[in-house]
Parts: sequence; structure tokens; C-alpha cells
Amino acid sequence: MNFEPVIGLEIHVEMKTKSKMFSRAPVTFGAAPNTSVLPLDMAFPGTMPVVNKQAVINTIRVCDALHMSIDRELWFDRKNYFYSDLPKGYQITQAKRPIGSDGYLDIEVDGRTKRIEIERLHMEEDTCMQHHLSDGTLLDYNRAGIPLIEIVSRPNISSGTEAMKYVEKIRSIVQYSDVSDGKMEEGSLRCDVNISLRPYGVSKLGTKCEIKNLNSIANVEKAIEFEIARQEKLLLSGIPVEQETRRYDEMHKETVLMRKKTDAVDYKYFTEPNITPIVLSEDFIQHALETCPELADSKKARYMQTYGLSDYDANTLLLDKDVSAYFDEAMKHSPLAKLLANWISVDIAGYLNKENKTIVDFPIEPKRLAELITMIDKGDISNKQARSVFEAMLTSKDAPRVLAEKLGMTQISDTSAILKVIHEVVDANPQSVVDFKAGKDRAVGFLIGQIMKKTGGKVNPGLTSKLLIEELNKR
Amino acid sequence: MKEINKNVLKDAAHRLLFDMTEEQYDVLEKEFTVLVKQMDLIGTIEGIDDYQPMTFPFEVSTSYMRDDIPDTPLPREVALANAKDVVDGQIKLPKVVG
Amino acid sequence: MSYLDLTITDMHEALVAKKVTPLELAKEALERAKANNDNAFEGYMDEQALSIAASLKEPEVNNPFWGIPFVIKDNFATRNFPTTGSSNILKDYVPCFDATAVAKLLQAHAVPIAKSTLDELAMGGSGITGHKGPTFNPYDSKHERMIGGSSCGSAVSVAASIVPFALGSDTGDSVRKPAGYAGLVGMKPTWGRISRYGLFPFAPSLDHVGYFTRSVEDAALSLAVIAGRDLEDSTSSTRPVEDYTRLLKTDLKGIRVAVIKEIMDTITNPTVLKAFDQSIVALREAGAVVDNVHFDKRLLGTIYPTYITISCSEVTSNNANLDGIKFGPRFEGNTYQEVMFNARTAGFSELIKRRFVIGSFALMRENQDVLFLRAQKCRRKIVDTLNDILKTYDAVYLPSAPTIAPKFKDSHDQLSDEYLIADNHLAFGNFAGLPSLTLPIGFEKGMPLGANVMGRAFEEAKVFQIAQAIENKTGYRNLSAKEVRV
Repeated sequence: MNFEPVIGLEIHVEMKTKSKMFSRAPVTFGAAPNTSVLPLDMAFPGTMPVVNKQAVINTIRVCDALHMSIDRELWFDRKNYFYSDLPKGYQITQAKRPIGSDGYLDIEVDGRTKRIEIERLHMEEDTCMQHHLSDGTLLDYNRAGIPLIEIVSRPNISSGTEAMKYVEKIRSIVQYSDVSDGKMEEGSLRCDVNISLRPYGVSKLGTKCEIKNLNSIANVEKAIEFEIARQEKLLLSGIPVEQETRRYDEMHKETVLMRKKTDAVDYKYFTEPNITPIVLSEDFIQHALETCPELADSKKARYMQTYGLSDYDANTLLLDKDVSAYFDEAMKHSPLAKLLANWISVDIAGYLNKENKTIVDFPIEPKRLAELITMIDKGDISNKQARSVFEAMLTSKDAPRVLAEKLGMTQISDTSAILKVIHEVVDANPQSVVDFKAGKDRAVGFLIGQIMKKTGGKVNPGLTSKLLIEELNKR
Repeated sequence: MKEINKNVLKDAAHRLLFDMTEEQYDVLEKEFTVLVKQMDLIGTIEGIDDYQPMTFPFEVSTSYMRDDIPDTPLPREVALANAKDVVDGQIKLPKVVG
Repeated sequence: MSYLDLTITDMHEALVAKKVTPLELAKEALERAKANNDNAFEGYMDEQALSIAASLKEPEVNNPFWGIPFVIKDNFATRNFPTTGSSNILKDYVPCFDATAVAKLLQAHAVPIAKSTLDELAMGGSGITGHKGPTFNPYDSKHERMIGGSSCGSAVSVAASIVPFALGSDTGDSVRKPAGYAGLVGMKPTWGRISRYGLFPFAPSLDHVGYFTRSVEDAALSLAVIAGRDLEDSTSSTRPVEDYTRLLKTDLKGIRVAVIKEIMDTITNPTVLKAFDQSIVALREAGAVVDNVHFDKRLLGTIYPTYITISCSEVTSNNANLDGIKFGPRFEGNTYQEVMFNARTAGFSELIKRRFVIGSFALMRENQDVLFLRAQKCRRKIVDTLNDILKTYDAVYLPSAPTIAPKFKDSHDQLSDEYLIADNHLAFGNFAGLPSLTLPIGFEKGMPLGANVMGRAFEEAKVFQIAQAIENKTGYRNLSAKEVRV
């Protein structure tokens, strides 16, 4: 390729605080239209903004995860413009003094680490939802005023893959810190891409296009890849790239023109006079960080270093915040990390996929799973038996031990009990002893089969085998 | 500073989503002439640009932030009582494009 | 003479002694309001007034506002009662909540009588720009003179003895100027002292809730009722509410008062100067030291342009929500822009449209540095200069206007010192958020003259103390337009 893609991402994260950024109305998702509003959200004259502490705490946590400098004073500005979804005719945001500045996020691409620089991070408020009909647009003010975090990267992303990894990591941070659901499909994570091309080695930036309304992380990558190709084709043909706002058409897998970009809008920013500057004490910031739920990176380090899980196993658990939470809870009841990880990644995952459920709705609590794993490890039941108990646990609240007994599935691991059976079977099969001493291995298999038959398959196979061979050697 | 003429004033008014009569634009243009002279007085104050812009009447900062406890929302009829075009519990506008 | 003609203090006494009932007062206040022909009212709150007044049976001895009728400027939200800001764009708008200042008065069992006219959306100082036309000064039965603004209707309601208390708002001088033109006490406390929640915003960094009474004591009593921290208004002060009457009846020994020489130089009306000098005698007799102090004249001349720039800029933004979509008259259009455009073109008067354009111009990217930001810098310089004076003086004392209430037909030379300085200096009390009170000091041609006491931030008690010393000497207490004066 002749051209270097220069990509910057603007990400909006919708916070799931209980109340809105400046209004006390409840933050709801999927509520009936206009049932989550207070006078401020309707921009009734005389209403005033009051800053939500939890929104600030959330923002501090994300700033820290992105290694940003945190401004010790909060100042807000008005961004003035008219639009159908903007009740006040302005949005309260942070233009001049964003709470976070000059941070970064390291991503792994093709085995290399790349540092994506983040220019700024600030708080602002969301707009109304619009439902478009054929003959009009309906306004729902429920969403108006929900807290948003805006994260603006520097344009040092170079490919669709890098962009995807960047967004994935940000998603992980906001999900694990409990700041947001972080789902592009639901609109709680939004990503706008600014992309231009320039010849390698040239410092001057090319004309950039904006891509909006992306509804999945996969589409972020695809849209960027298409757009790089599109712009490259133009430039190679000597056709200049025009400043445009485009969207990604999933069906046709291409970016499509939405509108030509006109002159930059003048938002006439000025300091919000209804919010006096808020001082963030060191104590407040420290407390916000100390009480932050553990992020994925920290969990991964713990999984690998303390529990000895592999990179792959750790990553698998961490793909879903609820899954890792389940694992963490189970680990409180058993130290068998690898075994737990396997059962979660394979058996539980299999079940959830089949039933189209999430682990939040999974009927076996972490504690009971841990008990099951412990039984396997101690040899009380075999893996095969465990799977049957597992099935039973899906529809019963009983402890695994109880269910195993009910199913008659307790594995016999008691040495003396096993020896008793071994003696019986060996005594009854003297020819096998002879065969064994003559070097015929299948004698062992035959005897084990007999032992299994006699015990209904309940003996611990490994232990039985060991004891049998010892016994045969004695004879 | 942007030059002041009727077109600039008309454009400014339109961006604020209203229009005025021609006579009013004339009045405004005259008002601006006086106003600009008055505003120029500010520029003659020695060292004025060494001052920091002041938004609030005095240095006032706070550490207060609201606890994240939601209030009971307005009943929908109350929230929309003053809106004149309501359909399906939502305010209706001409179809928004772009 | 009716009990309704009394001050709050005296009316309260009569109520406690059961010489009169809240219902009787309310009925009479409503009658007087409806009979008034100064175009002072947007709406009469008959239902609320009568039902509240009728429910008040046992007087509360320690509550000076129990049963007291009052008027509300129509830019304060009143629950279930139309609030228009005297603008067509808010025709028939009915709020679903009360402004905090209103709520506090209702909690104190005061009785709301009416919503009063104002300059449209509070953006004026003449009282002539409301959508119902000019409001007249009740002291001039010929209706040739204004009462000033923007709190014109509230000033009328107290000056004409319709009620002893009315809420107003003051962004540049909108309570303190009309108070001077109407023989009233007009009080604007420190910024943030009274919650602005529910007050339609003009310029939040300059807006103050203020009020009118007919005596300094009434003004001192009233403040504690409506002041206080409000969690709905982040800018409201957390300082505890005081007993603002505690320094009344204390002499002024040790008090130092500053008169700004350069402002006095721009005032030439001999009656004004004489009345002002006499009030200074009163201050000195009460024990105060009164000095002339210097304030750079060129800087004084920037008060008005600083005010216009900052207030127009903020107000443009504050009124961007008025589009007929959520409330107000709804207009047709093919696009949402047309709907908004048509509503705003029809709903705003020409004068405020012009102000919006000025504000928008000052905020434009190319202009912000030399217009808006520079005005904000000038604000700081003016505030610093004022606060310097107040380091060694307890208050600044000046005439509230260079003349009596002007006639509607008189125009101003807008670049004259008199206009820039004498007529507009009160705005520096908004820049610095300082407590500032106007009270009557004399008459000319039967029209009142006022003077203004401005103190340090949150020193309202001292402002009342100084003002009362003047009032005691002049005897101008409970003045009413009902009594004709020469």
C-alpha cells in the first residue's frame, strides 16, 4: 500500500448511573417514552443542572484506566446549537477543561504492543431519542441528560484491526469498572471514526472523512478497511478525497455518503454559569479509584500469576465480565483454577450457547460448581459421573454431594473398599494372575473390567488400576 | 472581529432560528454602531488583556456533588402537558432527516 | 385606611391581633390589583389566593409572612398557573413546579395574589417591552412616566399598596432602579443568597432574585424567609441564613461609607443632589464616616458595555429552549428548523431579537476574544476595583438614578457619560454579586428619588442597618402612590 491510514476515534460511553448527569430523573433503558423525565430534561424555563457525583466517580475511574491526567477542578461549558433532539438548544459539556487529558491505551496487534494516544476525555449529557415514522419524527426525552463520557484519541491508529482492539479494550474497561454496559448494538458505546490517508513519509494530513452510526465493533473494523480502500482508490486515480460524513452499510459492506461536511459549526462555547467550579480533593479521587471494581488487566495478571492459568484460558474467561465474575466467585470456594476454568469455558459455555442464555441466568451458582469440582479432584466422582451430576444440578437446588448420592454416582475411592473387591476378583481369577506374570497386559484390563462390573463402574479407575497392579505384583 | 453589515446580522439572526423585518435589521445595524463604540471603550482600559475572564461574581468553588439517587419522574401527561403535538406519548415533529 | 396599606410588620401585628383575616386581605388585594390601570399584571391568582387565605385560621406569631398577600414577577415559575415572562413565546405555558423563592413564601403561608408584568423575558430597564405594552408609574396619573424595569409590575404592586411584598429579579438593576423610581425599598442580596431555581434565566452569572417592600425593616424580615441553600441551584450559597434584622436600630458608629466621586460628577440634577446630600447628613448623624472615593472614570464608562455584552451573550443561550415544541405556541413547518424558526420569529419581540443577535455576535469564534472574553476581563477589573474600595469601606452609597422616572418620550444619548455612568452604574453590583438596596430619599414633581447602598458580599445585615439610618431620618417609610405628593 502506498498510503498511510491516519485514524482517530471518538468514543461515547453511556453511563449506567441511577440518575442522569445533571437531572435527578432515573436512568432507564427501554422504559415507555417520556416516563423518565423531570423538568430539567424538558428544558422548562428556570430549571438548573446539578452535577451527579457517581458520574464524576465513574469518569475518574475511566481516566485512570486510560492513564490520563485528571483536572482537579471541574468546569463545564455550553455547546450552543439547534437540533430536534436537543431540548435546551445547548448541551452542557466540557470544552475548555476536560476532566481527563493526555492519556494512552496499549493494544496488542500481531504480537506487538502499540500505544494509542488519547487526547482528551470529558463528561457531557446525552440527547433525546428520535423515532422516525414515515410522516414525522417522535421525540422521547427519556435519554436526554443521561451521562456520557467522550473519549477522543489522537490520530495514531493505523488500521481497522487496531481500531477494533482499541474499542474492545475501552469496552472492557467501562464494563469491568461498572461504568457502562458498553454495547454498541444497544447504543451504550458509540464510535465515530475520522480517517484520512497520506503518503508514507509525508507529515501533512490528507482530507479526512467521518464515519458515524457504527453499530458493532466488527463493523468498525470493516468500515475502516473499506474506507481505506475507497480513499486509496480515489487518490491513486488522482481524485481528491472530499470531506464527508459517511455511514457503514452492513448489507453491502461499504461506507455510504450521509452528507458533505460543510464549514465547521461555531458552537459559541462559554463557561456554564449555573455550575460553579467543583474541586476534586485528592481524597475523593483516591477513594474513587480504590473502590473501583477490578478491571480486566488486573484480573488477567491475577489469573495468570496467582492461579497459573494460561494466557488463552485467562482471555477466554475475561471476554465476558459476568463470566469472570462467576469464576472469581467460584474461586472463593475452591482453589482449583484450571479445572474451574475448563468447566466454565466448556461445559457451562456449551449449555449457555444451546439454551441461548447468559451466565447471569445460569442455574448453578458458583459455590455449587466449586463443590462439584472439589468432588472430582478428590476422586469422589469421576469426570463422567460429574457430568451427570452437573445435568441434575441444572434443575435442582441440591448440593452436588446430595445429587451424586441420589444418582448413586458416588465414586468409590476408599482404598480398603477397593482392595476388598480387588482381592475378591483376583481370587476368583487365578489364570489372570498367571497371565499378568507372563507379561500379558490385557490381564489387567480384564480384571479391571471385572471389578467395574462388580462395583457398577463406581470405583476410581486410576486408583483401582494402581492398587490392582500392586496386588498382582504381590501375588 | 467580524465585519458588521446587514448580511452578517441577517445570517446571525437566521442561525438563531428567527428573522426580523428589514427595518429592524436597519435599527440593529445602527444599534451596533453605537454598541461597538461602547465596547471599544473596554479596549482602551490599560492592561485589560492581562486580566483573566471572569464568569462568576466572586471566586466560588464547591466540593458538593449530588448523590446518585433518582427522584420520582414526572407523570408523562405532566411532562407533555404543554406540548401541542403529541402522538403515542411522544412529541411529534416533521420528519427529521440528516 | 385599610390594613392592606400597612407594612408587613404592621400587617402581621394586625393579623395576630385578629383585627383582620388573611381572607379579607386577599380579597381586597385582588380587588385593588384588578382595579389598577398601570398595566401591572399578567394574571390574577384568585383561586390560589382565596383557597390559601381561607385555610389560614390561627395566626403564627413568629412568622411575619403568615397571611401576607404578595405578588410574583411573571418570570418565576408558579405551579399550575401560567408563567409567560411577558413574552408571546410563552403564551399559555403552565409550569408543573414552583420556583424555590415562591415555594418558600407559600411554605410561610403567604398568599399569592397575582403574576406581574415585566420587560419581555426580563431583558429591559424601562418596563415598556412586555407583550402587553408599557407598564406605568402609579405616581404619575397622566401615565407619561415609566416605572423602570424589568420588574415593573412588581414595583407597581407595592408602590400602589396592592401588596406589601413583591418578588422581582435583578440582572443589571431590574429591582433597584424601579424601586428608586417608585419610592420603594428594592433589595438585591448577594449572588447565591436566594435560590434562582425556577427563575427564568436572563444572565445566570448576573441574575439575582430580589424583592420590593415599603420599609427597610420589611426588607430585612423578608430575606430570611426566602434565602437559603437549595440543592436544586448549585450556585446557591451554603452559608447559613441569618437574622437580618439584628443590626437594625443600631447606630452607625464605626461604619464607613464611600461615595464614588466620578459617578457623582455625572449627576447634575440639583434636586437629586440635594436629597442625596441630605441623606449623607443622616448617615453622619447616625455616626457613619462618609468619604468621597475615586474610581477610574474610564472604567466606569465600561460598566454598560460590559453588562450588555455579557448579558446578551448569556441570554441568547438561555432562550435557545424556546421553540414552541415542548411548550409555548406551536407553529407549522416542513422541517423541525421551520417549526422552531416560525415560533421564534413570531414569539419574540423585535427588541429582544436584536439583543439575541448582539449576544450571538459577541460569542462568535472570530469575535469572542475582543467582545465576550474581553467583557469578562473588564468585569474582573471592575469587581477588583469595587472590592478594593470595600476593603476599607463597609458600603458604597450612590443615587440609584440621575433623575426621577423618565417620561416615555424622552430619549437617551447613549454615549453620554450620564447614560453610561449615572444611569447604569448599579450593574456593578451584579458583576460583583454584592448585596445592594435602594430606598427613597426625596421627591421632585411628586415623583420619588432613590439612593442605593451596596455592601460587601453576604453582609446584608449591615446594608439594612445603614439603610434604616437613612429611612429613620427621612421618614420615608411606607410610601404609597395612593397619596399624592407635590
